[in-house]
Amino acid sequence: MTAHLSPANLNALADGELSADQLILVNDHLALCPACTSNALAQTLLKTQVARAGQRYPMPQGLEERMKRAAASRRTPGRSAAAGLGAAAAILLVIFSGIMLTLQMSRRAEVAAIENRAQVSEVCDLHIATLAAGLPPQVVSSDRHTVKPWFQGKLPFSFNLPDNLPNDTKLDGANLTYLHNQPVAQLLYSIGQHRVSVFLSQRRNPEPTEQRQSEQSGFHVTKAGVGDLNIVAVSDVDPARLAGIVRIIKDAQSGTR
Amino acid sequence: MALLSWKRDSHQVASQTPAFEDLALPLLPALYNLAFWLTRSAADAEDLVQESFLKALRGFAGFEAGTNFKAWIFRILRNTYLTSRTGLERTRTVALEEELDQRPGSYPEAAIDRQTPEINLLRLADRAMLHAALEQLPPPLLEVILLCDVEEMKYKEIAAVLEIPIGTVMSRIARARTSLRKTLQTQNTQSKEWGA
Repeated sequence: MTAHLSPANLNALADGELSADQLILVNDHLALCPACTSNALAQTLLKTQVARAGQRYPMPQGLEERMKRAAASRRTPGRSAAAGLGAAAAILLVIFSGIMLTLQMSRRAEVAAIENRAQVSEVCDLHIATLAAGLPPQVVSSDRHTVKPWFQGKLPFSFNLPDNLPNDTKLDGANLTYLHNQPVAQLLYSIGQHRVSVFLSQRRNPEPTEQRQSEQSGFHVTKAGVGDLNIVAVSDVDPARLAGIVRIIKDAQSGTR
Repeated sequence: MALLSWKRDSHQVASQTPAFEDLALPLLPALYNLAFWLTRSAADAEDLVQESFLKALRGFAGFEAGTNFKAWIFRILRNTYLTSRTGLERTRTVALEEELDQRPGSYPEAAIDRQTPEINLLRLADRAMLHAALEQLPPPLLEVILLCDVEEMKYKEIAAVLEIPIGTVMSRIARARTSLRKTLQTQNTQSKEWGA
């Protein structure tokens, strides 16, 4: 090897990515070339300095604890069943049971709040990403009889779409997308000039849930549950209008509309 | 005492499959550090780590035991960042690969004649100078150099995290280091001029 070492070789040398054969060739060249040796030394020094300087932001206190609680709360019930039986004896101590219950509830509430924030953040991001992409929906149609069948074989559940929408509301189409690693339907509506994403996903708890609203960075998010269907709508439209469209979709599942 | 077969199986699975927390919690500081570099905000970094952690937790059943967990969870964080508002804003303003290639003086041959002063400069470079130099890197170059130098990932692992070919990893690392060296030299020249 007579020519100077390439940038790729110098970097691979600093990063320990050269094969044994390549390393022999590079070392032979370095033994004869002070310029490349200096360059290789500079790359190695830079790597060391970046490694030190790059470790810049220490984790805030409490984050690890919150993540531990989030992980603990989602463990499979089968594993915790035995522990639960053992803990049953402790529950006999009435004075402690109250305290434990309170603690557990606050932890669950905290975990639920974290999960809720994560979900709100994720649906907002998906909605914004859809708007930013500027692409037409995967199925472009205002006809519910076109949009609903398009999801056949794509989703492990089905749903009804409302027939009658308010005057300035129209269905633009839909996308198949993913939330929490689960396939979901993203229905795209327009209310006047405002774009609305309605995410329909499967849920485990069939108890009907009241509509809940939250807000993030100017976007309103309305959630509801009906049967085994979760409905999450996100838009910058007036929250009352958003709640209205969620209510119409919810009613369509039970055939009251 | 011999265990019943189903009990033996479950014990074996439990002992062979590490819990999610055992794998993920030690990586939280590294995930947070990268998240902060990418988002440049403590609040956004915390949100990004929490969202990524919960996504990884939910998807852990799909993680193939024995494969690279670190690369897997960093990929989740990076993809979550890319679909976040901050990520979208940044990626919209990032130069395309070809544009990065066409920047003048982006290869270190130009620096070959200045090795000795440069080595001295690198030895003397303080953290503030390096932080400033790193902050000037475009996101595609910043993330690749952080994964390589700070997280000490191999090129193959970085390619898996960023979902790009190894050749692209290598070219981005070369461009990142060239850019850092140039920025440090410029900073040094400016500080000498101001001191004069």
